[in-house]
Amino acid sequence: MKNKIKVFRAMYDLTQEDLAQAIGVTRQTILAIEKGKYVPSLELAFRIARYFKVNIEEVFTYDEESRTVDEK
Amino acid sequence: MKKNTFYILSGCIALVLLAVFWYSVEVHNPLFIEIAFVIGILIAYLARKKVTDLIEDERSTKITEQAVLRTFQIFWVGFCAFSIGAVMQILYVPQFPREFFFTRQPEIISPRMMGYFQLGLLCLTIFLYVGFRMYYARKYGEWETDEE
Repeated sequence: MKNKIKVFRAMYDLTQEDLAQAIGVTRQTILAIEKGKYVPSLELAFRIARYFKVNIEEVFTYDEESRTVDEK
Repeated sequence: MKKNTFYILSGCIALVLLAVFWYSVEVHNPLFIEIAFVIGILIAYLARKKVTDLIEDERSTKITEQAVLRTFQIFWVGFCAFSIGAVMQILYVPQFPREFFFTRQPEIISPRMMGYFQLGLLCLTIFLYVGFRMYYARKYGEWETDEE
């Protein structure tokens, strides 16, 4: 799963801590998602997308080649 | 309740349990430590719910779940294997001519040793859990550093 959280954060001029607090997770979780170490739940993905006021597909894209961490 | 207050309370509970354990050994009554252990854990669980600044999200929950699952998958096999063997020894009543199956009398482990061994297995589980927790924490980016 690829994501553009970092890009959106830059657009909104947000730090990882700011975004984490806004959506109710730890900063480490935002960092792990950005680095592709952790694939968020559907609910969290929606929360992130809603926060940036975009559709979920604009933030997250399913990548067939890079499967989830669990499947590796 | 603050996170640090919870840690101090947990330490106090551990100290009280240690004292009750010592007392139970002195009076040779295991009921004290058994009841105290359950009460102590209940207090710790209830206190944890009152912590306001302990941020736990779905990633940390997943790390805990995975670590517990793997620990349990390994632990129950070892624990059951030993416990079945121990019960078999306690219930050992030969029904058939012994010479047919055994050439010598099997060594019986005393119930006290069985208790020690099971306690040892439980302690080993804690280390196993910590190991798995570190593994999954690393897998899900717990110690990742960013370039921010």
